Amino acid sequence: MPAGKKQSRPAGSSQFPDADFERIFHPESIAILGVSSDENAVGFGTGMLRVLKEMGFEGRIYPVNPRGGSVFGQKIYTRVEDIPEKVDFAVIAVAAKLVPQALEDCLKIGVAGAEILSSGFSELGTKEGLELENEICEIASRGIRVVGPNCFGIYCPRSGLTMLPGPDLTRQSGSVAFVAQSGGMAIDFAHAGEWRGIRFSKMVSLGNGADLREAELLNYLAGDRETEVISMYIEGIKDGDVFFRELKAAAAHKPVIIFKGGLSKAGARSVASHTASMGGSGVIWSSILKQTGAVQVFDSQELMQASAAFSLLPKRSFRNISVIGGGGAIGVAACDIAERYGIEIPPLASDIRERIEAILPRPGSSALNPVDVANPLVAPSILKEVLMQAAQDEHIELQIIVSLLFHYNPYALMMGVPISEIVPYKELVEAVDDVINKTGKPVVAVLPNARRGPQNMDITELIALTRREYVRRGIPVFDELHEAIRAIAHMNTYYGRRENEKR
Amino acid sequence: MKNDKAAKIIEKAVKKGRKALSEYESKQLLAAYGIPITKEILLKDKDGLARATERIGFPLVMKGCSADIAHKTEKGLIHVDIRTVTEARKAFREIMAGMEGFEGGVLVQEMVKGRRELVMGLTRDPQFGPCVMFGLGGIFTEILRDVSFRRAPLEAYDAREMMKEIKGHKILEAVRGMEAADEKRLTEMLISIGRIGLENPDVMEIDLNPVILSGAKPVVVDALVVLK
Repeated sequence: MPAGKKQSRPAGSSQFPDADFERIFHPESIAILGVSSDENAVGFGTGMLRVLKEMGFEGRIYPVNPRGGSVFGQKIYTRVEDIPEKVDFAVIAVAAKLVPQALEDCLKIGVAGAEILSSGFSELGTKEGLELENEICEIASRGIRVVGPNCFGIYCPRSGLTMLPGPDLTRQSGSVAFVAQSGGMAIDFAHAGEWRGIRFSKMVSLGNGADLREAELLNYLAGDRETEVISMYIEGIKDGDVFFRELKAAAAHKPVIIFKGGLSKAGARSVASHTASMGGSGVIWSSILKQTGAVQVFDSQELMQASAAFSLLPKRSFRNISVIGGGGAIGVAACDIAERYGIEIPPLASDIRERIEAILPRPGSSALNPVDVANPLVAPSILKEVLMQAAQDEHIELQIIVSLLFHYNPYALMMGVPISEIVPYKELVEAVDDVINKTGKPVVAVLPNARRGPQNMDITELIALTRREYVRRGIPVFDELHEAIRAIAHMNTYYGRRENEKR
Repeated sequence: MKNDKAAKIIEKAVKKGRKALSEYESKQLLAAYGIPITKEILLKDKDGLARATERIGFPLVMKGCSADIAHKTEKGLIHVDIRTVTEARKAFREIMAGMEGFEGGVLVQEMVKGRRELVMGLTRDPQFGPCVMFGLGGIFTEILRDVSFRRAPLEAYDAREMMKEIKGHKILEAVRGMEAADEKRLTEMLISIGRIGLENPDVMEIDLNPVILSGAKPVVVDALVVLK
């Protein structure tokens, strides 16, 4: 879906102030307030100018500083009023006490939104900090939308807007929107997305959330055509009622995955009834997320794994799967994990089993499901045939292939070459990709690594290269089988509910 | 759509500066929302006892009833399985003696028989407001914390989900010669508890413990409503 089209908002929620999110996420021109004429300056303003240029930001950039001068061969404007065209978006990186005036100036020339990178506001807990933040809120209420303060801002691959530590983030756009209060969490997610195969539509670090907050962004992202999956890291919310309503509405449109930080027992609160003593914030949050149809995860890794699964796999549940691998205790472990997450690994039909047995090495193999291919060195051509056969079973909805590539290590040592030179990982990935295309059934890859020590850096490299081949083709990869199955179980929770409601 | 009867019960207690409703008042409040409660009569003195026992029928339960006494069992204020008027008179004297100094009366109550005990309740979350609880009674709630919550207002789907969510949910099915619980009735009760919370800001917490399944039918046997 091309950018620049009017977005539709879901019904039943229009109490938020006006916001031109198109101009905020895909600005044609931006002003950066707080750029130094010293190119080596370490300030956020100069840093942001540098990273936006490196990212290849699509629009025009106007540096601003009352002292004027020039930087990177560009004129520095002394006042935003002097910028010769309409400015869509502003990056504010001046000292906290100068922020209200800077924001006021931006409002005056009709800037749609501003991200305030500066800190020194409510997060300090001081009277002065709170007052400055209240001033920001007041100015914002008169018609300019604010991200932050105390944030890393917006990353939008399509327009080239990026966060400060992110000059090397990908410009490849994708379907996952990520919203986090924490800037650190956001930038980590952006970096991890790169090698996990998660691509983003837009990412927002909210910081103190003086104006734009999670509920309004849920409302926007629910109707955003660039976004198919919404992932969030939440510490606190402002209004439980509004949040609940927007979350429920958004989750009815598309998957919303939430990692709520700061859950603790109710201990501190004094309550008189048993009921109240049972309802600590952790319990209530879990209930709220279930009730709204959102997916709850419990750490940032799980959030990323779920985001990869939701964005890369077909939009449905997968109750019956096959697991193919060899060289480990794959059979029992897989069944135990699957059962824990309510997923079946049913025995394959007997005729299919016979055909698989005919091509597997003996002894030590089992074609039952999980299919144990006996050893981790089985050729990709044979693995491909096994996957093709297993997919013929009408019950199987998704396949997992577990490859213990590190077991090639002794042979690499024997031959005195890095392991990636002897492992046919490209052929493996091509084979898997071929199976997906021919059978129409998704395959998920698991690449465990039992050898992560410094003496085995070539194995770490091999795994990274194999993973890259997979994610290039849009095939999700997990480190461990339980992570893959847990991510699929999250999809079952989300889509299972919708499939239930349809019935 | 305010419930006038419920509002009056709460208002009266709030005016007196009370922090809770007595069991009798709590149940009157629940009944005003259509929640099934035990058949019961509150006596201030012993004159009405014979008539009360006749109307409730033996065997019955007698309890000290006061908004000031939270733990009736520990104070010996509950007498169960009373089968004659003589027993009832004795129980009445003992309860009144035990209530020395507290304002209240004696509750004469039908004895509900059933092997399955549930709990329901309401708490106010600082972020999300009134939330309804469901769980199995007794140790299942207190030790195992096998409970589920949903924010009010509840839809029927939410109520059914919160019943399915507890680990012991199979107890609601037809097991060991017991009938399957009346799911529709339970659903209505959970929705109503949420409404009480939404419509009465003075109600801070509610405990319905136990709710006994008498055959398929749930009946609230004891209740506590905590006020602001």
